[in-house]
Order: sequence, then structure tokens, then C-alpha cells
Amino acid sequence: MNSNPSERRGYRRERKAGHASPPPRMSPITYGLPVYELLNEDKIEHLHQASMRILSEFGIAFYDEESRSILKEHGAKLQGDVVTFEPGLVHEYVGKAPSQFTQLARNPENNIVLGGNSMVFAPVYGPPYVLDLEERRREATLADFINFVKLAYLCPYIHHSGGTVVEPTDEPVATRHLDMVFSHIKYSDKAFMGSVTSAENAADTVAMAEIVFGSEVVRQQPAVLSLINVSSPRRFDERMLGAIKVYARARQALIITPFILAGAMGPTTIAGTVAQQNAEALAGIVFTQMIEPGTPVVYGSFLTNIDLQSGAPVFGSPESQLGLYVSAQLARRYRLPFRGGGMFSSSKIPDAQAGYESVMVMLPTVLARTNFVLHAAGWLENGLVSGYGKFALDCEVLGMFHTWAKGLDLSDDSLALDAIAEVQPGGHHLGTEHTLRHFRTAFYRAELFDYNSAEKWQENGSQDSYRRAHKKVKDLLAAYEPPLLEPAVEERLRDYMALRKKAIPQGVY
Amino acid sequence: MSEELEITELETSELLEIIHDCLYDGMAEDVVAGVKELLRRGMSPYDTLTQGLVAGMDIVGVDFRDGILFVPEVLMAAKAMKAGMAILRPLLAETGAPAIGTMVIGTVKGDIHDIGKNLVTMMMEGAGFKVVDLGINNDADKFIQAVREHQTDILGMSALLTTTMPYMKVVIQALKEAGLRDKVVVLVGGAPVNAPFAEAIQADAYCRDASVAVQTAKKLLAEKRNQVMVG
Repeated sequence: MNSNPSERRGYRRERKAGHASPPPRMSPITYGLPVYELLNEDKIEHLHQASMRILSEFGIAFYDEESRSILKEHGAKLQGDVVTFEPGLVHEYVGKAPSQFTQLARNPENNIVLGGNSMVFAPVYGPPYVLDLEERRREATLADFINFVKLAYLCPYIHHSGGTVVEPTDEPVATRHLDMVFSHIKYSDKAFMGSVTSAENAADTVAMAEIVFGSEVVRQQPAVLSLINVSSPRRFDERMLGAIKVYARARQALIITPFILAGAMGPTTIAGTVAQQNAEALAGIVFTQMIEPGTPVVYGSFLTNIDLQSGAPVFGSPESQLGLYVSAQLARRYRLPFRGGGMFSSSKIPDAQAGYESVMVMLPTVLARTNFVLHAAGWLENGLVSGYGKFALDCEVLGMFHTWAKGLDLSDDSLALDAIAEVQPGGHHLGTEHTLRHFRTAFYRAELFDYNSAEKWQENGSQDSYRRAHKKVKDLLAAYEPPLLEPAVEERLRDYMALRKKAIPQGVY
Repeated sequence: MSEELEITELETSELLEIIHDCLYDGMAEDVVAGVKELLRRGMSPYDTLTQGLVAGMDIVGVDFRDGILFVPEVLMAAKAMKAGMAILRPLLAETGAPAIGTMVIGTVKGDIHDIGKNLVTMMMEGAGFKVVDLGINNDADKFIQAVREHQTDILGMSALLTTTMPYMKVVIQALKEAGLRDKVVVLVGGAPVNAPFAEAIQADAYCRDASVAVQTAKKLLAEKRNQVMVG
């Protein structure tokens, strides 16, 4: 409220007019809380030494001949497919990777910083199924893909458009990467992730990024960030290596993430699993720097465990959170940006299990000062399902994390001693000058969580948060308007896709 | 102020709209100027109250209920309303216009939690009621004395503690014994209170929040006055 009343007149009319407002601007996070260090330096060093032993004695398999010769040329040792690295070699090449870099977005206001105190939230990646607004679990389509891109675009607490927000199973396997990259560019102006399913698909992604940003520009700063998985334990497959080579040569950013479900792909202990994960991540990072020194690369962790009774993956387990803290510490030891965590759950629907598990992982994710949080919204059922309702609910919690992670403001205005003096004992703060200046933005207001009295909640139909989330998703999608894309750029992208769709041989799918 | 010059040139209907806007925006001085201008044009104090202030505050009430306005905004609107009422109240008394109503309100004995009661006071004043606020920690005698002293239409009691809310029953019992129970509408509220409790202690209604208190007060008072006229 304004202190000069005359300036406020007409405020009511403004509100009543209700003119369509543009989507809220992306709200970046600069982490302002203490970084949680689970282990002291000596213990981190102990883990590091274990990883060095894994790298120098046991080695990592690289299932690609060219990759092995690159590694050999630069000083790694080969024994069949298995590559070993001496600690000095690891140290030398890890040191070439930047500790922080910027990924370009189509809208420069949405460029993201990876590293330091910057924290970036991105949507779920990879699910072949959706839980739709009719609560049906069904195969995901390109239409679903576009919907999730739109939702991520509209949410101010999601900083990145992500990658395979769902697997568009109605598109041919051989060409769906084109539709996915195009949809990210067309329906959002946030930064996006590239295809990693083959070297050719990676090359298509780079070509499309060059159309949008210009080939000179993307060589200076990456416009594509791509997710490389280590097929743990201790191996990189041909597809991933093919993608690494293409992206590193184009100087596009990579996340090297060992995919470990402890008990199956790693030992049944977190210490051993983290030592293995560290060795795997470092091997991949070293490889990127051998291809092209200075390639922007993120140290990744995707670490949880299986249920040793049934063999099923368990997301949100307490052990995985210990692993998350330590993984982040190791990344910091090597001065690399860190990717880990997310709103993980094994639940099939956005129920209490989903809520508890997601927050159980997201709290350590934030406290570990994770730089890139993939799977920050939408994740259900061990990553098999993108949930529309879960996406909206996760965004709500991300908004809360935004507020919290900024830390505490101790400025004079924040201490508010004038306001405290103004209110006599037993009075109230609702009308102070300080309150009138701050009330609208003072506290985070969750739209999907209900703060009403029980009676009012009943009047509103006794809805749980899931119902409210569905309504929110429907409203958002109905009101969505695409960000401007230059028609000439769109045409060139469409031409490129058409050309490639003709050229790419269709598989049996 | 320059706007006083400006408002003299407006149609009365436009002026009423401006007053509604100013109430909504919590601009007390401008509301006062608007009220004075309406009176200058010969509008009766009662019409000025109902068409200017009460109609304006109705808009505020609806937007508060619908989650558009925040509590501090409603507080500012209520203060602006109160400023307008300060001019109208003596004139209304002179002209013998029907009063909107008088409420006596307080937290009950043993309870000093009064934020909710203060919000109700503010909203009731915003709706044009005269509110006699007894503050905190009131025993039955204090409530009864106040009901007698002021021409009370409504008695509001509030409690936050489950240990103090039964005292509301003591007050209602005392009202009965003093022969006052039928003269006032008794409204109760507070976090642990609910409708069955209100019924059990023979209050007239439970109000879950300040806007419901205003709606309920208006509704029950109208019914009561109707009954009196019929009876």
C-alpha cells in the first residue's frame, strides 16, 4: 500500500480490469544457507583415496574403440575394454573443467549459472508413462511432452525446461528426439537438455541449437546441457560415449551421472557406493576434458538403493540422503558443479508417501547446495511416471524451498524495530506502516495448500491438495500462451526436422 | 486538496463510485471529502451511509472473502469507513435514522488472546456497526454491564483456549438471569469453538471468521428486527 493515498486511487479498478498478466518471471536461487558438510575433510579424503584405487587398480569399461584410443593417447592404460587412470592423470584433467559456467536460454533472462551458490531446478526426466488429469496411468505422448514443457515454462520456480520430460511413445523412436528438442524451443524460452541416445541424435540437437543461437555463439557458451549416464557398475556404453564425443567437440555442457541403485549396481553400503560413484563420475569427466579441455561439465549423482527383499528400487530412502550429502562434498572437493537429488518417490500417486519421500530427498538436496536438481517436479513411481498433479504440487514446494534457501535478511528494515516500537503490548501488527509496505510479499502463500477453516474448506468441496493441483494444471494449460519465436527461426527448425525425418531410416518400432 | 475541487464537478453516481474506490484503497481523507460532498449536495445522512459507505464496504467484504484482498488492506478500508462514519454518526442520531447496530465484544475471563476479536471489531466497524470493545479477560458482570449501558444489539464473545471457552456459557446464563438474553444476538468465536458448541451453550451462532461474523450479524439482526415488527 502506498503511503501517499492519492497515488493509490484507481487501484481497485486496476484489479477489477484483471488484464492478462504475462507468466511470472523465472525466479533464480542464490543459495544463502550454510552448506551442510556431513564429513570432515579427512574423511572426504579417505573416500577420494578409495575412488583413486578403484580408478587405478580396477578401472572403468569404455565400450567404444575411438573413446579408448582417445583415453590411451592421453595417458590412461587399457586392458581390453577396461581403462585405468593414475591419480595424477585424474587430477590433471579434472582440473581443466570449469568450476562454474552459464547455459544459454532462448530468452537471455532465463540463462542459468551452473556452479557456485546458484541452484537450478529442472523437471522430471525420462518417464514413459503419465498419470493424467483423469488419474489414468497411460503411455505418454508428444502432447503430454508439450504439456509438461508448458507447465515448466509457466512455473517461476522451475529454471530449466529439462529434457525428456516424458518419453513421447507415440512418435517413432528414430526421430522423436527431433520433436522433443523442437518442442522445448517452441513452447518454452528456458534452457533445455539435449538427446543422448546416440551420436547422431546428439549432432541433431547441436544443429538445432545452432539454428536458434548461431553456431559461433554456442561455441563460446553452451546452449545444450545433456545427461550422460554411467551404466554402473563401472561402464560407459557406446551410445553415451557417442553423445559425449559429439557434445564435447561442440563445447556443449554435460552432466556425467553414475546411475546406481546400491545393493545391485553398487555395494550394500553408502561409503562403498559413493567411492564407486566418484570413480565413475571422474572417469567420465576426465574423458570430456581429454576430448576438449574446458568442456563445461557437471559432476552428477543419481544414487539410491534397491529393496533387497524384492529387488525393487526405493526412492526417498534415508541412506540415499547420506550419499547425497557426501556426493556433493566430493564435487566441491574437485571444484565442479554438482547435480543430484530431486523430488523422488516410489509412490504410484501423489499421496502421503509421495509427499514425505519427495521432501525427505529435497531437503538434503537443497542443504547440500546442489547446483542442478533434475527431477525437481513431476516424478512418481520410481521415475516411470510423470504426474500432472505431482508436478503442480512439487512446484508449490519448490516455491517454499526458494524462500527458505535464500536465508535470513538481517537488514534494518527486516529487523523492523520501528514497527515493534509502534505496536503497544497486546496490540497487533496488521496496520503498521511496516506491515502495509510488506504484507503482499511478506510470506510465501501456497496456492495448493489449504489454510482455511474447516468449515470453509468443506464449503469449497472438501478438496485435498491433489484435486486442487489438477484444477491448477487445467487453468495453467488453458491460459498458456507461447513465448515469441521468430518465424524465420521456426521455419528453419521445421525444415531441418523434415529433412532429417526423411533421411533417418525408420526402425522396426 | 485538489481533488475536492474535482469531485464537486462529478455526477453523484460517479462520486459514489469514487467513494467506493477510495474505501477499497483505504484512503480515509478522500472518503471523508466524498462524504462531505454528498451531504453538501443534500443527500440524507442515511443514504450517504448506505449508498456510499456500506455499499463500498460490501465490495471490500466480497473481495476479502474471495481471497483478493489481504487483512491489512481490509483494516485500512475499515479505518477509512470509520473516518466517514465519524462525520455521519451525529447526523444520523439527529435525523433519527435507523442505526445499523451496536455490538459489545470481548474475550472471556481467563483469556487474553484477542487478535481474532480485534479482527472482528475491525470488520464490524467496517460494515458500519458501532462496536464497544471491552478488550480482554471479561467476566460476566462486565459483559452484562456493557450490554445494559449501550443500546446493544449484538454480544460477541471470543476464546482461544479450550479451558476458557466454557465461560461463554456462564455469560449466557448470567444474561438470562438478568433478563437480557432475548434482547441481544449472541455470537461466539475462537479457534476451538464450533457450531455444536455454540448450540449447546445456547448462543445464537458460531462465526468461524471475521467476515462470517459480519454476515451473520447482519442476517440475525435483520431476522430479529423483523420478528419484533411482526410480533
